[in-house]
Amino acid sequence: MGHAHFVGQWSYAALLMPLLALLGLFFYVPMALAVFWSFFLERPFGGSSEYVGLGNFARVLNEPEFWNALRRTIVFMAIEPGISVASSLALALAAERRLVLSSLARNVIVWPAAVAGASIGAVFLFIFNPHIGILSPLNGLFPGLWNPGADGRDAFTAVLVAQTWKSLPFNFLILLAGLRTIPEPLIRAASIDGAGPWRRVRDIQIPLLTPYLFLAFLVESVESAVQIFGLVDTMTEGGPGGATTFLIYKIYRDGFQAFDLSGAATQTTLLLLFVGVILLLLFRIDKYVKYER
Amino acid sequence: MTRIREVALFTALAAASHPACAADIEFWHGNSGTVAEAIAGACDAFNSAQDSHRVTCIAEGGYEAVMQKAIAAYRTGDHPALIQFFDVGTLDLMVSDAALPVEDLMPEVDWSDYIGGVRSYYATEDGKLLSQPYNSSTLVFYGNMESLAGVGVSELPETWEAVVETSRKLKDAGQDCPFGTDEHPWLMLEQFAARHGVPIATEQNGYEGLGAVYTFNEGLIADHLKNLQAWHDEGLVRLNRDLATGKYFPAFLAGDCAMVEASSGGYADAAAALGDKLGLGLAPVYEGVERHNTLVGGASIWVMKNHDPEEIEAAKAFLNFLRSNEQQIEFTRRTGYLPVTQSAMDKIDELGLSDDPAFATVGVGVRSLGQPGDENSRGIRLGFYLQFRNVFREETQKAFNGEQSMQAALDNSVERGNALLRRFEQTYAGAQAQ
Repeated sequence: MGHAHFVGQWSYAALLMPLLALLGLFFYVPMALAVFWSFFLERPFGGSSEYVGLGNFARVLNEPEFWNALRRTIVFMAIEPGISVASSLALALAAERRLVLSSLARNVIVWPAAVAGASIGAVFLFIFNPHIGILSPLNGLFPGLWNPGADGRDAFTAVLVAQTWKSLPFNFLILLAGLRTIPEPLIRAASIDGAGPWRRVRDIQIPLLTPYLFLAFLVESVESAVQIFGLVDTMTEGGPGGATTFLIYKIYRDGFQAFDLSGAATQTTLLLLFVGVILLLLFRIDKYVKYER
Repeated sequence: MTRIREVALFTALAAASHPACAADIEFWHGNSGTVAEAIAGACDAFNSAQDSHRVTCIAEGGYEAVMQKAIAAYRTGDHPALIQFFDVGTLDLMVSDAALPVEDLMPEVDWSDYIGGVRSYYATEDGKLLSQPYNSSTLVFYGNMESLAGVGVSELPETWEAVVETSRKLKDAGQDCPFGTDEHPWLMLEQFAARHGVPIATEQNGYEGLGAVYTFNEGLIADHLKNLQAWHDEGLVRLNRDLATGKYFPAFLAGDCAMVEASSGGYADAAAALGDKLGLGLAPVYEGVERHNTLVGGASIWVMKNHDPEEIEAAKAFLNFLRSNEQQIEFTRRTGYLPVTQSAMDKIDELGLSDDPAFATVGVGVRSLGQPGDENSRGIRLGFYLQFRNVFREETQKAFNGEQSMQAALDNSVERGNALLRRFEQTYAGAQAQ
């Protein structure tokens, strides 16, 4: 019956064209241009540009600031997705348990998805203010304990918490949807066999949820590397002392604030490669994920 | 139907009756709020004052945004005739070969009428003005005279020694923030170096060529930064992150800080917040150092290349209009920015506006810009300077945090800054600065 509506593969292609054109225009063309520029010393207003081969890469790879920014990105990627997915899982399981107010919670938890990163940053900046924010009483007890404006580790933590909060709704939705796909009879059968709620979570829900957990983790890993720009810009501006200058933020600064097109293009290319490698590694896990039921 | 035909006919006639040199041009700028409104007001005034040309002023959302859009537009040939670029973008424009120097374009104008510190910032090494100075501010010194009177100080300090002495008294009297500033290089490095007449880099801060090398890690600037750190540790100097507001100027407005160094552009807010308690003066210098001019901050207007002669005529007409005393005075009244020519200053005096609250920064600001200049107080002309500013902040923040010594911070800034300078030099190898 499906064939009745489509004339052949060309109609599929035609239907995909608008999307491909958009993707090409706004993603592949800029990406290709970034790779292209990374081989040149490019002047912002055009004019002659000098071909330097791998010179830009040699320079960037010799800069401690690049490696520091990459290291911060890796540390962030290693910590944040785990916390985010685990928190979302806890919330999704709770919401799925149909506890009191869980249907309200299902809505409330999704709302932050509609808030822009920069706005979230502005709010967290206030929350984390060492003098008037929620942690300020701590400073009353232990002076100087919390100050993201002066202490790099505090600033890093603040961005991490904000990104985790920002990522909750999407991961929550994925995992909640995943939980809904688990056949009800399985859970009931387990209950009849005497499995308590924790046992059911551990032996039925989480194993059957792995594809969704994997998806959430994958998406969040990429997000934590390339989407934290808005939070950093509003919360810390990469400081103090560069403690929150992640690679994506360094690229923004070099390219859009300092008009160093070649340097930004080179680092973009390296970031693309890095994210690509991370994704390849993550997809190695894919074979352990059970998709069949 | 007849009506449509009438309208069409009328439009055609109107178009035909326009003078031959008529042109519609655009002016892109990066201001917002009251400044953007004042710019829009100037555009309307220009358009209604004459029929020959029409200028459309477009706010692009910020200085960096204007630069980004200008770069994109210039590369595709869609750029407007006039663009406002911020102070630190001057070198980028100068070496871009994308703009026409205003002094070449309008040799009939008396460019020497521009106030020294304003003119030198936007001029070539031999003094040719490249762009027309527009919204201009500079560094001034603010004091809360009530707080100072509380410790028996009746005059705003003029030297660092006096600032420190007063700060100690204030601290002893329980003032949490005697002197507020921030590790932004505009404050701690550029304006400090200029008014003390010391260079931050060789080649006269880059004016003589792209081969400059940073040198501020020794001498007076290094001493000053170490002093600032010592004063910070002593609790006399407070930085943004030490303050509940997170920014030192609002802390001054709230009465938390007794003295601050800040842009003259903050005057209107300070006057509103502190009223009679507000004191205004020249930023402090060390005893025994001859005072030089501070640097102008803000932006200037550039005439872009690759436009028709009619459009260039329109651009010139608009620049002439903005330069008029009336327009400068109106702009100052509406925004608190400083007038940029001596004749506009004279006019303000002549009209008796000097004591008008709307013009209160003019005296101090222009006096600061008009101090004797030397080759080190002309301006900053160093490549990838915005990246360097980030480097400087990052390194000095680490020093103020205690992660490294101030000397190490300055040495690192110099080393990283020099790498940026060399790359800029390489990027523009062969390109002669205009």
